[in-house]
Amino acid sequence: MSQKEGNPHHDLADQAMSLEGRSGRIHAVEFTRKALLARRRYSLRLYIYLGFFLIFLIAVGVATSMMLTMDVVEKKLRFLEIANEYMLEIRQARRFEKNFFLHGTNLNDALENVYQAKQILNDNKEELGKIIGKDSQSIILFNFIRYEVLLKRLVDLEQTKRNNPDYPQRKKEVESELSRYGQEMVSLANHLMKKEKEALSEAILRSRHIHMYSLVFLLFFLVLNAYLLGSRILGTIGRFSVHAKRIGSGDFTPIPPGRRFRDEFTDLAIEINQMIRELESREAVLIQSHKMRAIGTLTAGVAHELNNPINNITITAHMLLEDYDHLSDEERKEMVRDVVNEAGRSKAIISDLLDFARESGTQLEPLDLPELLRETIHLASNQIRLSGINIELQSRGHLPRIHGDRQQLRQAFLNLILNAVDASSKGGKIQVLLVPADEPGYVAVKMVDFGSGIPEHTLDSIFDPFFTTKTSGKGTGLGLSVSQGIVAKHGGRILASSVQGKGSTFTVTLPVTTIPADIDSGDNLPGRPA
Amino acid sequence: MPVVTLSSDSHPLGREIAVRAATALGYDCVDREILKAVAERHDVPETDLHKALDESPSPFGISSKNHARYLAYIEEAALAVLLKDNVVCRGLAAHLYVRGISHVLKIRILADPQKLAGEISSGRTLSFEKASALLKRREGFRRRWSLAAYRVDETDPSVYDMVISLTRIDPDEAVKTIVETTGYRKFKPMTYSLKCLKDKALASRVRVTLMEQFPDVTVQADGSSVVVQTKALEREKQKRTEVIKKLAGEFPEVAAVEVQILPDIFRKAAESFR
Amino acid sequence: MAGKLELLLLDDEPIVGKRLKPALAKIGCNVEVFEDPKQALDRIHQKTFDIVVTDIRMDEIDGLEILEHVLRKSPRTKVIMITGYAMMAVAREAMEKGAYDFISKPFTPDDLRKVIAMAAQALGSPIDSETADPEEPSEPAETR
Ligand SMILES: Nc1ncnc2c1ncn2[C@@H]1O[C@H](COP(=O)(O)OP(=O)(O)OP(=O)(O)O)[C@@H](O)[C@H]1O
Ligand SMILES: [Mg+2]
Repeated sequence: MSQKEGNPHHDLADQAMSLEGRSGRIHAVEFTRKALLARRRYSLRLYIYLGFFLIFLIAVGVATSMMLTMDVVEKKLRFLEIANEYMLEIRQARRFEKNFFLHGTNLNDALENVYQAKQILNDNKEELGKIIGKDSQSIILFNFIRYEVLLKRLVDLEQTKRNNPDYPQRKKEVESELSRYGQEMVSLANHLMKKEKEALSEAILRSRHIHMYSLVFLLFFLVLNAYLLGSRILGTIGRFSVHAKRIGSGDFTPIPPGRRFRDEFTDLAIEINQMIRELESREAVLIQSHKMRAIGTLTAGVAHELNNPINNITITAHMLLEDYDHLSDEERKEMVRDVVNEAGRSKAIISDLLDFARESGTQLEPLDLPELLRETIHLASNQIRLSGINIELQSRGHLPRIHGDRQQLRQAFLNLILNAVDASSKGGKIQVLLVPADEPGYVAVKMVDFGSGIPEHTLDSIFDPFFTTKTSGKGTGLGLSVSQGIVAKHGGRILASSVQGKGSTFTVTLPVTTIPADIDSGDNLPGRPA
Repeated sequence: MPVVTLSSDSHPLGREIAVRAATALGYDCVDREILKAVAERHDVPETDLHKALDESPSPFGISSKNHARYLAYIEEAALAVLLKDNVVCRGLAAHLYVRGISHVLKIRILADPQKLAGEISSGRTLSFEKASALLKRREGFRRRWSLAAYRVDETDPSVYDMVISLTRIDPDEAVKTIVETTGYRKFKPMTYSLKCLKDKALASRVRVTLMEQFPDVTVQADGSSVVVQTKALEREKQKRTEVIKKLAGEFPEVAAVEVQILPDIFRKAAESFR
Repeated sequence: MAGKLELLLLDDEPIVGKRLKPALAKIGCNVEVFEDPKQALDRIHQKTFDIVVTDIRMDEIDGLEILEHVLRKSPRTKVIMITGYAMMAVAREAMEKGAYDFISKPFTPDDLRKVIAMAAQALGSPIDSETADPEEPSEPAETR
């Protein structure tokens, strides 16, 4: 046993929508268009531009902060250089100072060095102040000036040592003081250098951190952006492909707004909705024209049936004319009565067909399936009898009503019945079973025939438009495709199974619905979560 | 007795078989010879009648209005002949309009493709490819012609009761087969099939009359009642109906005329654009 | 007029039998009317008819079956088939199976009388298809 599924189920809201018919659909499309356009525009292009702009901003930020830290480091380095020079001069001065005390050498060299150091201090006064603060700077300056003064005094002392009695005494005093301030000065400079070195390595470290963190941040941002952009595009594409599948299967509900903003996809959705409208109007034409074909098939049976009353009328009228004078009033009356009755009968025979042929807009109403099936079978009854086939309808238990379009469902079932008739040979049997479907909330109509069956390799194609195994005059291959379209619109599906040579079963599942009888177009468009 | 329509893709062959079958059956053989009378009766050039059977309407040849008219004349004449019974009707497109009548035996004679190619190219010898290309083209043309004129594909074998290919069957055998087949009870005329043929003949006569004024009419007859369909605008409806009823009512066989006027969508559209 | 023609008329439409019986009686037929093909078949097996007129399509038994039964019983019986909706294939099948003639509904009583007159002629016992006082002059029966 092989199976072929006609159509997936759709949710009831969709189906309710899809049933509103042409004018309803035009409204729905218009309404959806407005709904689609009513949102704030946030285009994909803007999003992409914005993303790149942000990345650029981040890069600029990173570069700037890097430049700033570089600058800091550079400054620190320069300061260290200065401090180093200063240190050197002071050290030199102190060395000369020591030599003076130890070997009595000239002090002028030391003074020279002190001048140099002073020059450095003065040149970099501003920067120094900024770096070490005014207090420390004044301390350094104080120490330095003190040292210089002392040194100068020592030079004076040395020049006047001959006429100064307490020269050694004074020299001793100045020496100790000098060494104190010298020490102080050197240690201060050392301290300064140490502090600066620390600051430098700190600045380098900071710049390294900035490097690292900004890279991590950039990565994070890129990933986030890629994710958001990707999910926006892919999500919408996914949604669209679901819609496309749904539309392909005959559900012509327009694509509703799915997000809080609109963008290029909205334009696409609007175009697709327009296309849906177009498609639907074409399908309506297709359904109608295939219906006319089915009616053509039925006319053969009806013509046969119709000829009987017409023949009765002809014969009776002729005999009445022929024998008028020899007949009693009663007999004449009887004959006229026969004519009247047969005329009524003719009318009854075609009225069904005329009713079915009437081109009516889609009308939704609660339908009693057994009744509908009985009507459909009746419609085809002449055809069925003409082919010498028995058809029986069984409906098990009480089944809830369904909601749908009477004409279209009749057409869908009629196509299946006519197919079964075509497949059966004279004396064959067709069973129409109405049972609850396996799924809750659905009813199933099974059309069972014991005819030729469908070979496995064609079972997949029978629902395709224009697939037919019948001769060109007999079949268009549109019957099943039209039926499937109609059933899909009602939220149902058709399932075919067949054993070649034994017969086929077509199962139509339809949802039993509790949708209110009157569905307004557009006004209560099924809202969908954004 | 049954009547036979015989058509062939080759004129000379078709004539040969038709004449021999008619002789064997003791029937008359009717073919394009009757076109002379038809031409005289309707006062049209005989060559144009031949052309209507062989060519499609074209701006240089026969206009489509005349094409349809000429074919209607031929149909009328051929049906009148067939109604006389005991006749083999060769060509005249009879196989395309005499359909669904059980006592009309429809035969198609297929000539040997090679000979046919020689015949079409008037004796020149063609290479196999060229010959088959030529035959393909001709078959395509005949298909289009018949579909355009009668909505029937004359190259489709299911149109005929019997297709005899002279590649495999001799003309003698073909004639014998035809004679034998006419003897089958199946093809015996009956009240019903005679009535159908009569209806067809009447319809075609009425159509010829109406066509002068209404080139697009279709006519169906059933006994003494006639149904005429034509396209017209709403405002012309009543007038046309009257004219048609009067014209068709002049036939003595016609007792009742029904006129169905279909809306002329094209003209309506054309007028609404004015 | 050499004896009466024994005629069986079978149609599941009651009016056909009811109205045609007197119509055919007028041209010298002894008509037995049936609506049920089974009963008709029983009768056919009992009695040999000159002419059987039967509808082709009936619910239980097909007119073609009746035709076969009749001809098996009596090959000389002329069977006239009536059909509501004639298709060429059915017409040819009926003729193939030996039907004498085939007419389609709707037909007038005169149509049938003409056919019956021809059948009677073929049987060798000609009758006059014209009734005693014809309402309108009808064409002479055609010969084929
Ligand atoms: N009950 C059946 N039994 C066997 N084959 C079937 C049955 N129903 C459908 N088919 C196959 O499926 C094909 C397609 O059916 P479908 O109704 O679409 O077209 P169709 O019947 O050929 O043409 P149309 O319905 O226009 O007359 C048929 O040609 C037939 O081969
Ligand atoms: Mg079908």
